Amino acid sequence: MEIIFKNVTHSYEANSPLEGIGLNDVSLAIHDKKFTAIVGKTGSGKSTLVRHINALIKPTSGTIKVGDREITPETNNKNLKSLRKNVGMVFQFPESQLFEDTVEKDIMFGPMNFGMSESDAKESAKKMIKLVGLGEEYLDKSPFDLSGGQMRRVAIAGVLASNPETIILDEPTAGLDPVGRKEIMDLFKNLQKQGRTIILITHNMDDVANYAEEMVVIHDAKVMAVGKPKDIFNDKELLTNDILTLPRSAVFAQKLSKRDFSFPQLPITISELTAEIKQQVHGD
Amino acid sequence: MEKIISIKDVTYTYPESKQPAINNLSLDIYRNEWVSIVGRNGSGKSTLAKLIDGLIESESGTIFVDGQEVNEENIWNIRSKIGIVFQNPDHQFVGATVEDDVAFGLENQGVPRDEMVKEVDDALKMVDMQDYKTRDPQSLSGGQKQRVAIAGVLATKPSIIIMDESTSMLDPNGRKTVLDLVKQLRDQQDMTIISITHDIEETELSERIVVLRSGEVVKEADPKAIYDMGSELTKYGLEEPFSSQVASLLKDGIKLPEGYLNEEELIENIWKLSSKM
Amino acid sequence: MNKLILGRYLPGDSIIYRLDPRGKFLITFYFIGIVFLANNVASYGFLLLFVLFSVYISKINLGFFIKGLRPMLWLILFTVLLQLFFTPSNDPIWHWGILTLSTDGMRIAAYIFIRFVLIIFISTLLTLTTTPIEISDSIESILKPLKVIKFPVTQVALMLSIALRFVPLLIDETTKIMDAQRARGVDFGEGGVMQRIKSFVPILIPLFVSSFSIAYDLAIAMESRGYKDGEGRSKYRVLSWARRDNVALGVMILITIILLFIRSY
Repeated sequence: MEIIFKNVTHSYEANSPLEGIGLNDVSLAIHDKKFTAIVGKTGSGKSTLVRHINALIKPTSGTIKVGDREITPETNNKNLKSLRKNVGMVFQFPESQLFEDTVEKDIMFGPMNFGMSESDAKESAKKMIKLVGLGEEYLDKSPFDLSGGQMRRVAIAGVLASNPETIILDEPTAGLDPVGRKEIMDLFKNLQKQGRTIILITHNMDDVANYAEEMVVIHDAKVMAVGKPKDIFNDKELLTNDILTLPRSAVFAQKLSKRDFSFPQLPITISELTAEIKQQVHGD
Repeated sequence: MEKIISIKDVTYTYPESKQPAINNLSLDIYRNEWVSIVGRNGSGKSTLAKLIDGLIESESGTIFVDGQEVNEENIWNIRSKIGIVFQNPDHQFVGATVEDDVAFGLENQGVPRDEMVKEVDDALKMVDMQDYKTRDPQSLSGGQKQRVAIAGVLATKPSIIIMDESTSMLDPNGRKTVLDLVKQLRDQQDMTIISITHDIEETELSERIVVLRSGEVVKEADPKAIYDMGSELTKYGLEEPFSSQVASLLKDGIKLPEGYLNEEELIENIWKLSSKM
Repeated sequence: MNKLILGRYLPGDSIIYRLDPRGKFLITFYFIGIVFLANNVASYGFLLLFVLFSVYISKINLGFFIKGLRPMLWLILFTVLLQLFFTPSNDPIWHWGILTLSTDGMRIAAYIFIRFVLIIFISTLLTLTTTPIEISDSIESILKPLKVIKFPVTQVALMLSIALRFVPLLIDETTKIMDAQRARGVDFGEGGVMQRIKSFVPILIPLFVSSFSIAYDLAIAMESRGYKDGEGRSKYRVLSWARRDNVALGVMILITIILLFIRSY
């Protein structure tokens, strides 16, 4: 599903003395089946942006089109299930949404709310628990007996179980150790390869460089840039204004360029970086 | 070197668990040393911090802090020597405002108010949060909250500071300010620092790295020796330092010296190679 | 969730902000008491003028106070209508079944309405200009005499201030959990009563779990900072009673005298 924001503005507590702007006239297209990263400082409006996609919050003005669904300020809270079924959302620290007495029931909760039959939901739970790297033996356990990292995986399985076409991830790996982080990120990349649209909010620029095909930069409630990560990380204006930080490979290349190396375009992944260095050392 | 913490054969199992979180662990930490304790989620790092401070009681073994055994009798004395900054900035902010929170530890020790006012100001200056004195926690960023937590710890003048994954929930900006602050404190005063983390880059400035797995010490060496382990580090849930990742990819085609090189050394070596051409 | 103005502090600065919270606390309750002394147009008008004047010198937008009425709107409407149509009268303007409309009823209904406005405005003024911690400090200091009967005043005050400190955090947590469950297909406020009650289970359980985990973390953090049982602690926050607080009390006495005078006039 194509997701299109058209002149979307969102104000908190509109018409009250405490009014604040969450999004300011945002127009943006997020492409179908792509892996899009959304970056920006804390409080820049990233979370506000993605919450509009499944109508958890509604625009104060403007429209959002998700496939053929249109969300406007007038959209009411009824009949949102078909939209939310297609847009899965993994929140920050999603383990706090677990509540059932077994892992299986918790994973089945979403699918059954969206009208899946009990036997299909059970089937789905079995598949998903394996997909997130835990065994079937976890299904009968209480989610509250698991470790933090395992709870995180169960929560993710619970979102994936409804088989959403679009998956929104709000810093899904925060607090995980590097090995766990990589496993989770690879899982989402695989889901994209199988035809899902992935939208990732992150502070980790290495993840952006390694996984995303497109990138959106949000700053002060506005979209500052949209494009391919490689182009955006080479945008001097964004970097000098301290809106964006670079992946580690690009920082390394910058340091090398002070030592007779030259990079017409900063490499953003470690393989690009090392290939460039080899080429320049061998001097051809 | 004088031992400030001495842990001997300590085991601890959480009530609801079968496997011990800390398994017959022994470790010495020396005065004014900066030690990093690393390992996967669930390897026992934070449990160890709680044991040292007597916040949980070990099943067997002994822990001595500054010559005193951690037990019922000495516990308050020992806690006054140790300051811990925890992981979640929201879950450790006791006061209704920044200054109240910094004062909390001093209030507990019954410090007279006049002294307290001065100590609070001094501590806030050390972490560069004096302009936020009367702000409430809700209006602060995660990094600012952690700096206030550090000020609260500094105010009581402990000889040991434990940073228990204090940066893991922060954004890169917040993480950087907190790490810079720890480095600066380290330079300015005599203090034993124990930092618990799974971010290998945060361990660079420590003098010793202790690697935990399933509640046991599996490696204990200076950073260079630990980084030399290269991709073996992933076995312990850790990432290879960025410069060794680059180096190992470069070695296929470029001749670099053996052993771990930090970023500057690596750049230096690459530069030498290219200028010879 | 965030729409409740009553009970929310608004950072600012004016003479009302600077008054000692203990004084403000007592004055507010005292004023709510004397509102019931008003008995005619002049006395209600006088109190209304006083409240509006206090709002004026607080330098807070009147809009906040009007918003403060909103959560109570149904209660106010119900009470006013009750007075309007159920006040017995020998001289009704209109009469239908048990409903009676009379000038007496209209007058009493108007008084009731103003009484609500007075009480809500003055308490909103207290909470908008006084931080929760100041209110909790006031309560501690007002309850201090109870120490004689071994009532744990300081512990209760600390409990209260920590509870206040964690209210916004729990509100955030609730919003977050609600969003997460809505994203998993929960519809709040749809279906029958049972359905609605059931839809809150996925909110309440996670909220309990995270409250307990916050409480556990907080207890550990407090212990690690040397908190024992509330004994032998010193106090960082002190309240200081200034001349303006005496003036404020003086004003209240004056108001009472004038009110008593107008009342019997």
